[in-house]
Amino acid sequence: MRYDEKTVVQRVRRLNSQDLRVWVSEGWVRPGQSESGPLFDDLDVARIRLLCDLRKDLSLSTDAVPVVLTLIDQLNGARHDLRCLAAAIERLPESARKIVIAEYSENQNPTDKSQ
Amino acid sequence: MADDPYKIIGVARTASQNDIKKAYRKKAKSLHPDLHPGDATKLADFQALSAAYDLLGDVEKRRKFDAGEIDASGHEREERRYYHQYAGGDAGKRYNAGPGMGDFEDVSDVFSDLFGQRARPGQRSSGSGFQARGSDLRYQFEVDFLDAALGAKRSLTLPDGNSIELTIPAGLSDGQTLRLRGKGAPGLGGGPSGDALITVTIRPHPVFSRDGNTIESEVPITFDEAVLGAKVEAATINGPVSLAVPKGTSSGHRLRLKGKGINPAKGQVGDQIVRVRIVLPERIDPEMEALARKWKEQVHHNPRRPTGGKS
Repeated sequence: MRYDEKTVVQRVRRLNSQDLRVWVSEGWVRPGQSESGPLFDDLDVARIRLLCDLRKDLSLSTDAVPVVLTLIDQLNGARHDLRCLAAAIERLPESARKIVIAEYSENQNPTDKSQ
Repeated sequence: MADDPYKIIGVARTASQNDIKKAYRKKAKSLHPDLHPGDATKLADFQALSAAYDLLGDVEKRRKFDAGEIDASGHEREERRYYHQYAGGDAGKRYNAGPGMGDFEDVSDVFSDLFGQRARPGQRSSGSGFQARGSDLRYQFEVDFLDAALGAKRSLTLPDGNSIELTIPAGLSDGQTLRLRGKGAPGLGGGPSGDALITVTIRPHPVFSRDGNTIESEVPITFDEAVLGAKVEAATINGPVSLAVPKGTSSGHRLRLKGKGINPAKGQVGDQIVRVRIVLPERIDPEMEALARKWKEQVHHNPRRPTGGKS
């Protein structure tokens, strides 16, 4: 589903179109572009709700928002990568999977090998 | 959520609206689900907190609750999908800061990026200054069907007001990503700029549809054209062409226009498939009716018979 600016403002109770335009021009929200203007999808709308939480409920300052957003984006990127990696490990043969899991726990809790 | 909303927010029943707001903010900052993706306990706590604040943050609702007119459980929020529930998936790549694993061709690059660039021996950045490549920026762009089929140059206005020139290659497919080198975020300390990664969606066309490099369309023909055969005009992505409809063509018959599909930058030229549809005039005139009656008496043709029906 894709929504134009007006529909998004209607759907998100706490949002007005002025805020939305500022957020888009700051690059905090990056909707698809079409000749008739920006088009937002469900991902964008969820991100807009998050921005409402950050700006309005948690009253984060304009300067702090990009810092938080960058960290959230990195976190989600890393989670996505890890999920891909986990899926790749899941597809390995049993023996190889055991080695990976053993090596992983070894790195998580290194046993003291010095004597 | 039937627990006491005052306890959930952590204020006394006598607290001022301002105190409630402050206490809510403090707790929300440490519990927000997008700051703790995957933590089910924090998600549940945050939902309870939000519901409590919905009630007590609103002066009128709080008064009604205090007076016992409404209870705490009557104010559950509708289930909300949080940002990380979308962003952790493939769709979220648009907002990811760095290159994801899928962008690498060599698996070893995945790990070097995941676990930090380890300096290789004998390879050091010039000077003592800090240098870094700018990050890639992701955009989404809706492309006209014909632009994607034929190729085009379009200028794309970025959210920051700048515009970039985008060359759309002929035969571009839906969901494909175009990389514009050096059009991403500027680098630090003289480092190179990142790239702009533009994912395209193709707008549907009223007449044409597409299967790879094959274009599909439909052409309406008249009853007499179907019976006698005719040359009709058919639209192609390169303009109208003359299409020979053979004698005795049925509705749904597919005619192939060789080489009239998409001529992609790489690969073979596609064809266009034209589906024929017989359209009768809105009002059947007496002459046509007479013709049909006469034909019915003389010829016993039943197209349904081969399927084994009992008609």
